[in-house]
Amino acid sequence: MLGNPLASLRSQRIKPLVLFTIVFHVFVALLAPLLPLASTDAQDSGSLLQGPSLEHWLGTDSLGRDVFSRLLHGGRPSLLIAVIATLISALTGIVIGSLSALAGGWLDDALSRLIDFMLALPTLILLLLISSFFGQDPVILSLALGLMYLAPIARVARSTTQTLLARDFVRVARLQGAGNLAILGGEVLPNVWRVVFTEVTMQFTWILLAFSSLSFLGLGASPPTPEWGLMIAESRSYMTLNPILVIAPILMLASLVLAIQALVDHE
Amino acid sequence: MKNLARRIFFALVTFVALAVVSFIGVDALPGDGCTALLGRFGSAEKVAECRRANELDKPVLARMGDWSLALIKGDLGYSIKRDLPVADVIVPRLRNTAVMAVVAALIAFPASILVGLRLGRFPQSRLGRVTNQFSVIAMTLPEFVIATVLWLVLSIWIPIFPGVNVVPSNATILELLPNVWLPALTLAAVIFAHSMRTMRASVMNVKGMPFVESARLRGTKEKITVRRHIVPAAMPPVLNVIAIDGSWLLTGTFVTEAVFNYQGLGRLAIDAISDRDTALILPIILFGLAVYLIASLLADALVKIFDPRQRNAE
Repeated sequence: MLGNPLASLRSQRIKPLVLFTIVFHVFVALLAPLLPLASTDAQDSGSLLQGPSLEHWLGTDSLGRDVFSRLLHGGRPSLLIAVIATLISALTGIVIGSLSALAGGWLDDALSRLIDFMLALPTLILLLLISSFFGQDPVILSLALGLMYLAPIARVARSTTQTLLARDFVRVARLQGAGNLAILGGEVLPNVWRVVFTEVTMQFTWILLAFSSLSFLGLGASPPTPEWGLMIAESRSYMTLNPILVIAPILMLASLVLAIQALVDHE
Repeated sequence: MKNLARRIFFALVTFVALAVVSFIGVDALPGDGCTALLGRFGSAEKVAECRRANELDKPVLARMGDWSLALIKGDLGYSIKRDLPVADVIVPRLRNTAVMAVVAALIAFPASILVGLRLGRFPQSRLGRVTNQFSVIAMTLPEFVIATVLWLVLSIWIPIFPGVNVVPSNATILELLPNVWLPALTLAAVIFAHSMRTMRASVMNVKGMPFVESARLRGTKEKITVRRHIVPAAMPPVLNVIAIDGSWLLTGTFVTEAVFNYQGLGRLAIDAISDRDTALILPIILFGLAVYLIASLLADALVKIFDPRQRNAE
């Protein structure tokens, strides 16, 4: 249970398909602006809703924009926000959870109660409110997502710390005269991270999907940004004319999320 | 019993605390009923006059007091923007969401228990592995993706169900029914996957236990072993999931309702947020909280009632 996450990932014989999908998405997200692609905003009014052709590999959308180029750019906004938000929720969640277990007493009670409150909060409606009233600002949204998804991580970090504190190496450190902070930094955090890794990865996909859903509802990424959720929403009315417009972003989003899940699913 | 009373008390405290936080939070948002009504063209005097007329110029705490006193008397408040009592706006929408939730629950829960039992007894069958893979996919993908795929397949490629919903919010249930299928199927896919996998894991766990083995050794027929020993012992975790998922069916349907333009509570919440109609937003949030808290209480109570070990533990 307390093994190195990367080692345990290696030992599980990750299916090549899963690994390939993740590497593919990382490369596409990083390199999309450098690739020789058509502009994501250029509107070709002569060819609206066209099927695949040599000029436009996946055809064009209702404004005559190149679908292939928008597709390869479309993961970048959600991935960027999800990475930042996950970093926020992982750091605050692990620190709150471990501190809570380490401190014990009334502070532990208060923090646990706070985590219970946060788990009861209706996440999506709060995100809609924040995004609608404070504007679709990526900084505010990643901060809000990060804080909203810290509770599950804090809960896992707290219970892991509690089991760690009863283990011999922590007792040895205490007998050697280590204070609470030294134990937190030297003994607890390095070990908690290994267990919480799976939970953090799961939260990463939930944050990614929450932002995509928000974009789909028109309150995440704002047009004309290429973003998969937004692309699906914009193209739904043209599903009968050119189904590639919805199928392509769905396949991209689904392959990314399912590959990440397959990476951490231990079953 | 003492434990139950304590749990109810904690749930009430949680509800009141979150209600206060929600009131202050919604109040702190830029804009109120008057700015929503008068829009960006409302002059400062007009807005001030409207605020005086609707007692919105009182301090936050006074308004929170008035609001909660009215709530206790059963008055949900007044939407200045829509010029209607909040209850008149919410109740028909709640009914529509409830119809959809009931259809989804009737599709998903019985099937998930039967399929979960089957897959738990024979986990290595090919059909079992395929179904399990599909349910992982249904649990992972967001509702807007499942909804769009169902729409594309079951409304456009194979035209069985109507896609976009044009029925008004106060339609009768019979008028509503043809339009309920696609949103209900979307929700059913999500909760089916959830409870089916719980049932499967629970049956796999129970079927190796000594009391099942002893029933088999006594020569009990397989059918009766399953019905009398495996199923009752496997149910408590599934009931827990069903209670929580049931609350989600009433409160977590924003995206699905938005996709199909289904005139339920979730669609109303999105409309209220984009109209800045704060008088509607608060009751919808509180309704969601109440349903969630009641469902978690119910989930625990169900496990206690159906699991004799838990019953004796307290």
